[in-house]
Amino acid sequence: MDLLQREREAIVNNEYIDHFDFDEVSSFIKGASKDLFISHKFKNSSDILVQPRGGFPTYDKVFKLYDEFKNSNVDVLPLTIDSNTRLNDYASAKKMLRLSEENDVDMLNGYPLVNHGYRTTRKMITHFNTPVSLRHGTPDARLLTEIALASGIFEIEGGPITYLLPYSKNFPLDKAFIYWKYVEKVCAKYSELNEPINRESFGPLSATMQPPVIVLVIQILEMLLSLEEGVKSFSVSFSQTGSFIQDIVSSNVLKKLARKYADDFGHEDATINLVYHQWMGAFPRNKEHSESLITTSTVIAGLVGADKIITKTKEEAFGIPTKEANASAVSNVKYTLGILKGLPLVRDAEEEENLTNEVDEIMQAVFNDPADTLWRKVFNAIKKGHIEIPFSPHIINNNKVITVRDKAGNIRIYDKGDLPLSEKSFAYERSKLNIAEDKNALVSQIIQDIGIML
Amino acid sequence: MKVITGVVGNDVHVVANRLIDISLNQRGFEVFNLGVNTYLEEFIDAVVETDADVVLISSLNGEAEGWSRDLPILKGKYSLKDVTFVIGGNLAVGEVASEVIVPKYKAYGFDLVFHQIDLNDGLDTLEAFLKEKN
Repeated sequence: MDLLQREREAIVNNEYIDHFDFDEVSSFIKGASKDLFISHKFKNSSDILVQPRGGFPTYDKVFKLYDEFKNSNVDVLPLTIDSNTRLNDYASAKKMLRLSEENDVDMLNGYPLVNHGYRTTRKMITHFNTPVSLRHGTPDARLLTEIALASGIFEIEGGPITYLLPYSKNFPLDKAFIYWKYVEKVCAKYSELNEPINRESFGPLSATMQPPVIVLVIQILEMLLSLEEGVKSFSVSFSQTGSFIQDIVSSNVLKKLARKYADDFGHEDATINLVYHQWMGAFPRNKEHSESLITTSTVIAGLVGADKIITKTKEEAFGIPTKEANASAVSNVKYTLGILKGLPLVRDAEEEENLTNEVDEIMQAVFNDPADTLWRKVFNAIKKGHIEIPFSPHIINNNKVITVRDKAGNIRIYDKGDLPLSEKSFAYERSKLNIAEDKNALVSQIIQDIGIML
Repeated sequence: MKVITGVVGNDVHVVANRLIDISLNQRGFEVFNLGVNTYLEEFIDAVVETDADVVLISSLNGEAEGWSRDLPILKGKYSLKDVTFVIGGNLAVGEVASEVIVPKYKAYGFDLVFHQIDLNDGLDTLEAFLKEKN
């Protein structure tokens, strides 16, 4: 038995799950309907796929949610996992699931997939016969991924950086890299049996004033870490920045560079998709304004040529949305996408050149690290502050970069911290800014810049 | 001047924490930021370790009061007479008036209490307080 299989046996030998039958799961995936694979849908559709967010504790509520989504013509269903499961606390998830079932009150903020198990969950997934995307935020998603794939969920979101630095204060980053390596390997292995399993990175990061260069570098690195384990279908993503042109520039450069780096590393056969997240920052409490924001996001997704859009709802400011609000958001987005005709092809050569240079400069610094493997180089880059995520709670994050918006709403780097940007690139960023020297002005502006959609 | 700051309890409001960090730096303080999810004991440990002048605790999810009850005990354990204790943010669960909140926290041993006060206003008050004190 190879090492990976030995680790898999150990992972699924868990008191919270029933016997895991590897052979049965393999033959299920081998014979699974093509309609369950988002990778298949990406290949055979030129439309922007629409995927909402959502998950409830009980099987019945998720089933009803999916019903509602299907009535709105959804393309991809989400399965959002509860936060206990994200922290591998299956005991609490089990207890809260029981309470949710007995009292008809949601005691979890998502679906405890491990506790439900793959035999039960698979019934629902195959019933709807629509691609499902696993949304979580788990640094150690080994067991969760096994159960998801066995259930017929053939898209796994996340990655060692994007599911750790924005979510955790002190889960060790090196462990996250190792645990995600396992996830990639299992996805790669199953990809040989049928259509490829799609992996997706989480580009919104902390969803607060993220400069495009950081987002792009992290997207490309997580893609490379995934492809080097044999994954053949990968989605890079980013979220609405607050500036039309910055979204377009980000998209143009991300598409170009993700392909270039994948090819440079010998992954010409891998498919790369682009996912656009509707505004991930603070939403207005006025529901009409929220709907307007959602529609605007949808137009941008069309302009940037995304392969998939992930939606928000008008109830975003108030917590987890009802299934009705969620379904109506899908219907709004589908309608808007349908009426977007004759979109212009927009480019900004100067901005694109600068962003390309910035990404290449940081990538070069990562590759120049003397470590022997890519994940160790990336790990060291984060330790050195060559990569950092503004507004991450994690102790390893360098917390030196400061970003503010320019007059056009573009997020610019005000203080580059230890990012290995050239003088020229950084000078370009600073040239767009005009910050008063008053000691209070900077922070006041950042607060305003964070809340631009309120 | 050295300042210890962080978000007390199981509270992950990292945006506010980072803004406080940036503001304090802009104002010339030497900042030791313990980040989100910090226990009260960790603030005291950091004061002892760095010989800090100010402890600035923030809280947004309303759980500060539960933690602050232990402050008099911890202050009594060490001699922290010269240290200025400040707390700010959203210091109650639900709507509670400042006139009710502030005396409560002062009794726990905080020199300055900012309940739903603008960040820059609070820090201006802190600077004035420190100027007066020294």
